[in-house]
Amino acid sequence: MTLWIAHLRRTPLLLFIVLYTIATGGPFVWVASMSVRTTPEIFANPYALPVHLHWNKFMDAWTTSNYGTYFWNSTIVVVTAVAAVTVIGAMAAHCLARYRFRGRRTVRFLILSGLVVPPQLLILSLFQILLDYRLYNSLTGLIIVYVATQLAMTVYILEGFFAQIPQDLFDAARMDGYSDFEIFWRITLPIGLAAIFTTVTLNFIILWNEFLYAVVLLTDDTKRTLPLGIMHFMGGHQLDVGMIATGLMIAILPVILLYAFFSETMIKGMTAGAVR
Amino acid sequence: MAVVTVDQLSKRYEGSNELAVKDVVFTVDDGEFMVLLGPSGCGKSSVLRMIAGLEPITAGTVSIDGRVMNPVPAKDRDIAMVFQSYALYPHMDVYTNLAFGLRRRGVAREEIDRRVRGVAEKLGLTPFLGRKPHALSGGQRQRVALGRAIVRDPKVFLFDEPLSNLDAALRVTTRNELIKQQHELGTTTIYVTHDQVEAMTMGDRICIMNRGEVIQIGRPLEVYRRPADTFVARFLGNPPMNLLSGRLEGAGERPRLRFAEVAFELSGWSPAVLRSHLGREVTVGVRPEDLWEGPPPGLQSGMVRLPVHVITVEPLGAETLLLLLIGGGDEELIARVGRDTALKNGDLASIALDPSAVHLFDPATSKAITRAD
Repeated sequence: MTLWIAHLRRTPLLLFIVLYTIATGGPFVWVASMSVRTTPEIFANPYALPVHLHWNKFMDAWTTSNYGTYFWNSTIVVVTAVAAVTVIGAMAAHCLARYRFRGRRTVRFLILSGLVVPPQLLILSLFQILLDYRLYNSLTGLIIVYVATQLAMTVYILEGFFAQIPQDLFDAARMDGYSDFEIFWRITLPIGLAAIFTTVTLNFIILWNEFLYAVVLLTDDTKRTLPLGIMHFMGGHQLDVGMIATGLMIAILPVILLYAFFSETMIKGMTAGAVR
Repeated sequence: MAVVTVDQLSKRYEGSNELAVKDVVFTVDDGEFMVLLGPSGCGKSSVLRMIAGLEPITAGTVSIDGRVMNPVPAKDRDIAMVFQSYALYPHMDVYTNLAFGLRRRGVAREEIDRRVRGVAEKLGLTPFLGRKPHALSGGQRQRVALGRAIVRDPKVFLFDEPLSNLDAALRVTTRNELIKQQHELGTTTIYVTHDQVEAMTMGDRICIMNRGEVIQIGRPLEVYRRPADTFVARFLGNPPMNLLSGRLEGAGERPRLRFAEVAFELSGWSPAVLRSHLGREVTVGVRPEDLWEGPPPGLQSGMVRLPVHVITVEPLGAETLLLLLIGGGDEELIARVGRDTALKNGDLASIALDPSAVHLFDPATSKAITRAD
């Protein structure tokens, strides 16, 4: 009887989980299915599972639709931006977590205030600044913008983690003769690797899918990143649903793979700052 | 040779109006084991950190072998420190933890290996050289922390409560190990602790601190037997010294001490000193072990008997603690008597006191009244 009641209590939760999974995962499964079906097959039966897997569609999308160029642009921009924001953010987080200096609170406030400012407020100013510095419509300009906008979150996550590293470790390293930078490089970074990995993964996911800054700050087709490329492709091929789905899969795949392999490390890194 | 001199050392932390350390003065001789003892927050760790160069100095100087160390960075002071938390680098194995400081100083690889393996052998760490700190027990980590200090071959060792994270049994064995290592190496050592047992057993001299100030410096037994004030008197000794109200009275050559409804002459005191406090209130200090249920042979004559009411009898196995009320009053007294006591809760009895073991303190200043002129 008790077992029945326990099952009964769990049923609403299970039902919710099933419905939520269908609602969030369903569209992805549908797009994945359409990505290996031809457009006529999709129009004949939009929700059917693929009978024949048309893998050649990926090659076609890559070569004939400029997806290769968009993918490469996204890779350059995102990898460079993530590397830069990780290095700069880790150094900033280390300083804020470890050192007491005049103006520390102001610096911290200024950096972390980036978390609450919505991108829509910044876009006009960024547009003008990039124009003034001749960085408009350039991958370099977009990289700089991405570093600036992701710095707040990176510093926020890393500062919390770095602050938990016992001060004694740094004192011991100082007495062993290591300089401040060497202490950052040899002590903070290796110990903070889980948190750093978390920020790398989060930043990669966010920037890979980033659309607003890219659509405003890039105009040349040869410089477009993937989200822009997909939008452009959708505009020109409104009826080619199959090819649109294939393009979407090309865009999503790196992020899915990254998350699939490293989600556990990411969650550990995110919660490490919360547990003492 | 390393003589450490601390002269008028003071420290004020940012945002505080109070000095955390006030005009601390002491010298640690070459090869000496000096213990800084005091309650939590008394400033002893701050003093240690200023000596190490980890904390900026507000005022005063720290010198090693006559050279003022104030402007010298921590890494150049030739000091090794063992931290309370051991401060082992968690991402490095034991070998790398031991070698880390030497690598930075450009010591040759073969020499590093020789020193690390030598110290590991000495401390029984050879089987653990490939392990990371999380795979070690508390005692093993403590030895790695000690080994990391020894391998540097410094002029001075600094220890910041290194045994406080160990259980009682391990603390005893590790304490003896530390003493043995220090004697073998002969390195000048400054050891911070709040544990009086560590201070009494390990130090050549102890420096007792309270509220940022040095209260007394001396050999352990000397400080125990002649405390400079009521704070030292109560801090050293477990159970702490009993402090009671008394009065010096009487005319003539030999004033008498009156307290606990008895009056008796004090032996071993300069009459001039006693006469200078005549008619005044004094604080009387009596150690629990100087109270006897029945006085031992050789001390029968001259003992004073105090009427007491037994409140609690606490048998500890090897001895018994008695919580007593003196006479009809409300002043409490703790006595440490033998394991075979006939006393029970509620008994009215008398306890013997050796008058020569009495301490006197000035109630206004809490300072000890010295026995001689």
